[in-house]
Amino acid sequence: MNELLLPIAEVSGDFFKDRSGGGCIQDNKLFCPGWVADNYDRYVDPTLQHLVLVLSSVAAGFLIAFALAILAHRHRWLSSPFLAGTGILYTIPSISFFFLLLPITGRGQLTAIIALTAFTLQIIFRNITTGLRNVPPNVTEAARGVGLTSQQMLWRVELPLALPEIVAGLRIATVSTVALATLAVFANGGGLGAEIIVGSNITFKTGIIVAGGIAVIMAILFDGLILLAGKLLTPWERAAL
Amino acid sequence: MPDISRVAENSSPNGATASPVRYIGVSKRYPGAESDAVHDLNLEVPAGEICVLVGPSGCGKTTAMRMVNRTVEITEGDILIGDRSVKDGDGAKLRREIGYVIQQIGLFPHRTISQNIATVPNLLDWGKPRIEERVKTLLELIGLDPEMGDRYPSQLSGGQQQRVGVARALAVDPPVMLMDEPFGAIDPINRSRLQNEFLRLQAELRKTILFVTHDVDEAIKMGDKIAVMRKGGEVAQFATPTELLMEPADDFVEDFVGADRALKRLALMRVKDVDLWEAPLTRAGEPTGPVKTALAASDIEVPHPLLVDGENRPIGWLSDRDLLAERVPAIPDSIADLKIDADQTLRDGLAALLQSGSLYAPVVDGRGRLTGVLSAEIVSDFLASPEAAEIAIPAVDRPHE
Repeated sequence: MNELLLPIAEVSGDFFKDRSGGGCIQDNKLFCPGWVADNYDRYVDPTLQHLVLVLSSVAAGFLIAFALAILAHRHRWLSSPFLAGTGILYTIPSISFFFLLLPITGRGQLTAIIALTAFTLQIIFRNITTGLRNVPPNVTEAARGVGLTSQQMLWRVELPLALPEIVAGLRIATVSTVALATLAVFANGGGLGAEIIVGSNITFKTGIIVAGGIAVIMAILFDGLILLAGKLLTPWERAAL
Repeated sequence: MPDISRVAENSSPNGATASPVRYIGVSKRYPGAESDAVHDLNLEVPAGEICVLVGPSGCGKTTAMRMVNRTVEITEGDILIGDRSVKDGDGAKLRREIGYVIQQIGLFPHRTISQNIATVPNLLDWGKPRIEERVKTLLELIGLDPEMGDRYPSQLSGGQQQRVGVARALAVDPPVMLMDEPFGAIDPINRSRLQNEFLRLQAELRKTILFVTHDVDEAIKMGDKIAVMRKGGEVAQFATPTELLMEPADDFVEDFVGADRALKRLALMRVKDVDLWEAPLTRAGEPTGPVKTALAASDIEVPHPLLVDGENRPIGWLSDRDLLAERVPAIPDSIADLKIDADQTLRDGLAALLQSGSLYAPVVDGRGRLTGVLSAEIVSDFLASPEAAEIAIPAVDRPHE
């Protein structure tokens, strides 16, 4: 346990960088804008690390879940075991996951990414399979009837029509990964979590608010971006009568 | 109206013509089923004709149709298109050469109308210019504005979507088309219009069509030949609509065709197709003498003279009192309110007679000129005549306006 916890003293050495003359920290207001202005640079690296954690685990999660969903679509009987497997991964508490991976991948970013990836599988898998299953049967019947092969049917008809559900799954997975990635710090995986841990060990709370705030903004931005991309990819959904 | 004649010239890029379809001892048994869904089916559909498979639900009519494009695989027997077995080669490739229209239309909601129509040409790699040209032609053919091509299916009415479904099926000018209750999801008024439109199209295209329906009226209207199927996947009768109505093979067919089959038969004929009566004609101002002489003849069919104008348009019937005068009056005792259109079906003509309480009424052509007199007696004589049993008018030439 000790080896996982961050050496607080190390990072808190320059924590009190305060060009406002100490007033802000001494008053210990809940939120101190002056301090943020003086210290914003300390959030650049954690934010970038956080981005890497989120993007790589969602990307990896999407690729794996996509492959599983296609397999389960071809062979219906695979659907239940895949759902159960990803479900189990989803329910493992994240911190125990880090410890479980410790002997294999050690401490660091990779461990965090593996765990975060595992958490995204269930949501993305479920949404892709639901999307594929909700393609109207008359459309697939017509597609087959006019001579599409099952490959062509999948890529030209079924997946495009499943896009709204796939996009919805990606949004949930991404937003929850942004939040979950704050725990990556327990695997020594970096990210905004480090700043939150540091902040939680002292009475001055502005640091926590800033780190948490960045995570919230990041989540909202990702959500909006994916939503927008989804809209652009599905023009027929907006076709007005 | 789309300019069908111009379109038809362009509609055979492969020089494809219709091919006959032959079922040879075809059976289908689904895995795990105790009996055949289709049993030993033998049918021959001549090139360019519409063959309707009709029957109650579960009679195997859809299964029978689907074996043609192998969306259902044949268990036993064979189906030939032209002289080629459908079992030869790849199923998906076969399906691209056979038009397919289903009840729920099944347009791709994520593709525009043009893209939907271009589905099969795309699969066959026709190349952009040729595909664009073809889509334009087909949009014209089905009477859709070319700018509708950029819309999505959800932006079209049900009837328009159905037309697009037909256009998609016609895209590569296939020699054979399969239509599975194609008008089933359309409200009755539009259905009749779409049926008529389709028959007009077929008059030009002359495809070999297998048409599945559970509606016997639709079968009689659309079919050149009708295969009535019963549970167990067997054909109870394979006949022209007239034969079916005149001589149902057994109780099942008789029951299925319905008690009003005599009336249904009347819908296959136009008023102008039967021998009408001739009335003695006269014009205003003419002496009444010759008409009276004509009326005295023994083989007279209509007991009253008909007053017509200079263009031979009927005005009314002269009564005995009218005939007492020296000259024919301009306004007769009884004005002919009811005039029957020669292009109407015999059924509608009879209905008009019955509704007005008349025994007979003048029949007029498109310009209102007299072509004869229709009476209830003509209709009942026609139904009893042996000639009525032999008429076989192709579906596309039958009254369907």
